[in-house]
Order: sequence, then C-alpha cells, then structure tokens
Amino acid sequence: MAYSDKVLDHYTNPRNVGTMDKNAGEVGTGLVGAPECGDVMKLQIRVNPETKIIEDAKFKTFGCGSAIASSSLATEWVKGKTVEEALAIKNTDIVKELSLPPVKIHCSVLAEDAIRAAISDWKKKQA
Amino acid sequence: MSEQNAGLKTAPMQLQVIQERQLSQHQCWSCGDMRAEHFCAACGHMQPAEPTDFFSFFGLPRKLEVDEAALEKEFYQLSRKLHPDLYSRASAREQHWSLEKTSQLNDAFRTLKDPITRTEYLLNLEGIQLEEQSKVATEQARAFGVEKKQTVPAELLEEAFELNMMLEEAKAGGVDDDLRAQLVATRDSLTARLGRMQDELRAAWKKWDNGNRAAIDEMVDVLNRRSYLSNLVRDLQEVLS
Repeated sequence: MAYSDKVLDHYTNPRNVGTMDKNAGEVGTGLVGAPECGDVMKLQIRVNPETKIIEDAKFKTFGCGSAIASSSLATEWVKGKTVEEALAIKNTDIVKELSLPPVKIHCSVLAEDAIRAAISDWKKKQA
Repeated sequence: MSEQNAGLKTAPMQLQVIQERQLSQHQCWSCGDMRAEHFCAACGHMQPAEPTDFFSFFGLPRKLEVDEAALEKEFYQLSRKLHPDLYSRASAREQHWSLEKTSQLNDAFRTLKDPITRTEYLLNLEGIQLEEQSKVATEQARAFGVEKKQTVPAELLEEAFELNMMLEEAKAGGVDDDLRAQLVATRDSLTARLGRMQDELRAAWKKWDNGNRAAIDEMVDVLNRRSYLSNLVRDLQEVLS
C-alpha cells in the first residue's frame, strides 16, 4: 500500500518532534496507544494562561508512517488555536487531509485521542 | 434419488426450490447420501465449496483449546485430498471447488494454528471488532467532551514509551556491552511477561470453552496489553541482532 504524498512529507520531515516538561503548569501531556498495532503516541501542548491559546505543541510517536504523520499534522493544527477550538478537531479531518486508507484510520483516531488527552491533562492542572 | 425426483415433479414450484436447496445442503450432489464435511462418506466425492467459518471448516466446535498437532495432521491430510492437481480432469465445478476449498483450508489453518490469531478470530466471530470499538469510544469522548479512557493501564503506555525511547537511542548511538546486557535483560523479562499473558489467555479460553461468555472481556484485555509488549520484544530483537 502506498502512502499519500502528504503522509510521506510528514513522515520524512515531521513537524514539532520533541518533548516538554510534563510537570510545568502550562503544559498538558497526552499519552495514548492503539492496541490494534501497539503504537504509542505522546502529544504535548503549551497553553498561554491568559489567552488559552495553544502556543506550542510537541509530539513523539512510535508507530507506522501514518501514525507519525497524523500526530505531526495534529501538532501543526492545534498550534495557534484556543483549547476549545482544538477540541473540535476530528479524526475524520485528519483522514481527509492525509488521504488515509481505511486500514490506517485508527492512526487518526489515535491523534484525536492524544489531543483530547493532552487538553484534559492541562485542564486538570488548572483546577 | 429417482423417487425423490418423481415427487418433485408434482410439487409446487416454490417447494421444489426449497427441496433442492435442502438437497444441496445436506446431501451429496453425486449420490444423494447424507454428506460429510468435505467428502461424501458413501461415494467419496468432494462436496461443494461453501462459505464457512474456519472452525466449521475443520469440523471443530467454536472452542479455543485446540489440539494443534491434530489440527496440523488434519491440515496435511486435507491438503493432499483437496489438491487441485487431483481434479485437473474433473468437471469444471469440481476444479473450482478444489481451488476454493484449498484456499479456505490454507486460511483456516494459518488462522487457527496460532493461539493469538485463533483468539482474535473467535472474538471477531463473536462480533468483537477492537478497532471499531476504539473508534466508537473516541466519538463518544468527543460528544461528551471528555478524555477517552485508554484500554490499557497508563503505566503500561509509560513503560512502552520509555522503552521505545531507549531503543531509539540504542539505534542511533550504537550498542556497547553495558547497553547490550541491559537490552538482553529487558527482552528476557518482557518475554517472560508475554508467557504469563499466554497463561492468562489460556485460563480465559477454559472459561469460554465451558460456556462462560464473560471470558470474552478477559481475552480482549489480554490481547490489548499483549500487543505493546510483543512489539517491544520484536524491536529489541532487531536492535540486538
């Protein structure tokens, strides 16, 4: 099965790979996994406390090209959005953007789970 | 056979269709005797290829404790008897059945001989679609604005993540003696844990085979946890070789 150009682009040149201090108050961390394939994805966001805008995002994914591309794209998309706007990102948006085939839809599901988990972690810290 | 046909002539059209269908399902197409699974017990003719689940193909009940040695023996016997070469001069439909059945046989054996794929297959037959469940859970989390509950404990994900990081560094920076010893120890302990999961799985099989449907959840749980560890063992092996 061939990867789409966009997947290849993110896979060979992933955006925002890295980690942030998970104990920092303005950082939210999401660590999620896909038991179907054993992929693990960590996605972190740094939120501006005043504006609630996600100013930076980092990811590290161990998995196939589509999982890496999905998380790379997710970090690009959440940056500059408010937390509430980021929660509106759906896995189907990622499927469309990357032209993922049906067997790789779970990779996009994983990326959506990661965004939601990171935001939830950040919200817990604000409480 | 001829008596039956005589009866059919006077039967209304619809009844005739039903009777023919029953004939095709339960009787040998060649001699009309009650048919066996793949070959007629009376005349020995190969029976039509039909869509069937892999357990039924081998005449097995839908149970998970399988005598793998006996299964393999049955596989080799059937592959010889169904082999397309034997039917090269038979009718076109028999040639087709032979090809079809041989392909079913290979798929069925490949799936059932391995404890993990056998379990996954049974779960599938019972309507458990792990990927579909995961997608539905994500959609629910989105609808309720909450975080999706992960199917495995957070500690396991943390552990898998950290080990993957270590492996990535090992791949990039090379493996010296100390690191090699550490990787070997990690591989061995993960392999031991996989073995214990296999035991958990067997315990769940026993429950299932005794008619306890709650065993399904236990099997799903073991398979979910297992995939992370088996990936790590595979990747460790790759770095160590």
